[in-house]
Amino acid sequence: MTITLRRVLASPATVGTFLFLVVPFGLGWLKTALFSPLALPGYIIYSIGSAIGHRLAPQFELWVYWIPFVAGCYGISVVVGTVYEWTRAVFTR
Amino acid sequence: MNRRTVLSAGGALAAGMVTVAAAASQTFRTDSFVSAARASATANGGERETERLLPGTEHETPLHAIDAPADGPTVMVFGGIHGDEYNGIDVANEMADWNPDAGTLVVVPETNRVAVENEQREGIDGDLNRMFPLDREPITDLARGIWDAVERYDPDIVLDLHRSLGIFGLHDRYVGQAIFHTPDAHGDNLATSLNEDLVPWYMPAHRFVARESTQPSPLLFKKAAHELGSTAYLFETTRFMLDRSTKNAFTRAAAARVLALHGLLEMETDTDMDTDTEVAR
Repeated sequence: MTITLRRVLASPATVGTFLFLVVPFGLGWLKTALFSPLALPGYIIYSIGSAIGHRLAPQFELWVYWIPFVAGCYGISVVVGTVYEWTRAVFTR
Repeated sequence: MNRRTVLSAGGALAAGMVTVAAAASQTFRTDSFVSAARASATANGGERETERLLPGTEHETPLHAIDAPADGPTVMVFGGIHGDEYNGIDVANEMADWNPDAGTLVVVPETNRVAVENEQREGIDGDLNRMFPLDREPITDLARGIWDAVERYDPDIVLDLHRSLGIFGLHDRYVGQAIFHTPDAHGDNLATSLNEDLVPWYMPAHRFVARESTQPSPLLFKKAAHELGSTAYLFETTRFMLDRSTKNAFTRAAAARVLALHGLLEMETDTDMDTDTEVAR
């Protein structure tokens, strides 16, 4: 099986990881009572990202960091998707 | 795997996560301290009065004084020193209907009335919480009117309710989820109690911290501590990731705990709070 860029960018592992990082955290952002343990990974990424972003550019409001958060989560998801596809390719040879 | 399969799998996964997250999420339950503070007035027969501060001016604002039947300290609570910090305004307005078991509760819910009406941090003369220099007359008419009331009630405890944009220690210059207090206050106990009872373990950045505040600055709670010897607290929650009802829940819980810590509430449930609460039981 060949690992293609298209497959890595939209593999089930990539999509699943992205949704796992963003959806539970997004629910908690909309309504605090909907924060759950599932939101913890996204919560930590957003908290650390906003702390770094605020130190670099304190003039921005903290909701602005949703943009790099979503991009960063997709980057992490692509890494997970790549590892998943590579592992799958090795074991199906 | 084609795109449709990936999309449908992703949709199903997202729906599953929404369901699990909703089921696992924490509903901010009824707080025993708040319940005690709201308990029926008919049981203790407290007296309440409302007066107007700065009457006949654009700053005119109500002050509520609730006298409990038993002797005890006077606690003075301020909301709305900054007009866009709704948690303090909402909760201080609620507190006008609270029923302490002992002492006197004095509440000014909309301290900077013009700023509250304009939904802005500052009122006509700028930031009200920078108008109370130590050992000098307050700078503006509004600040002088507020300080006259503080001197008249001579509170043993002052609680000033605020909201920041970020989190203390995480975001530079922001002070959310922090309790600033005088050395004789119960800041650590207050933070511990809030963290144990209200802040979920999976929101670690939102755990409250307590900090002794000893630097001189022209803040109302500092002036009360410096000139009247009041035990003083400045409470800050945050707008970061928290909706209005949660900010209010944290603020309400903090206010009720301050009353309990200083003997104004008789608690019927076991708590982890310290000796003053034990005395108050």
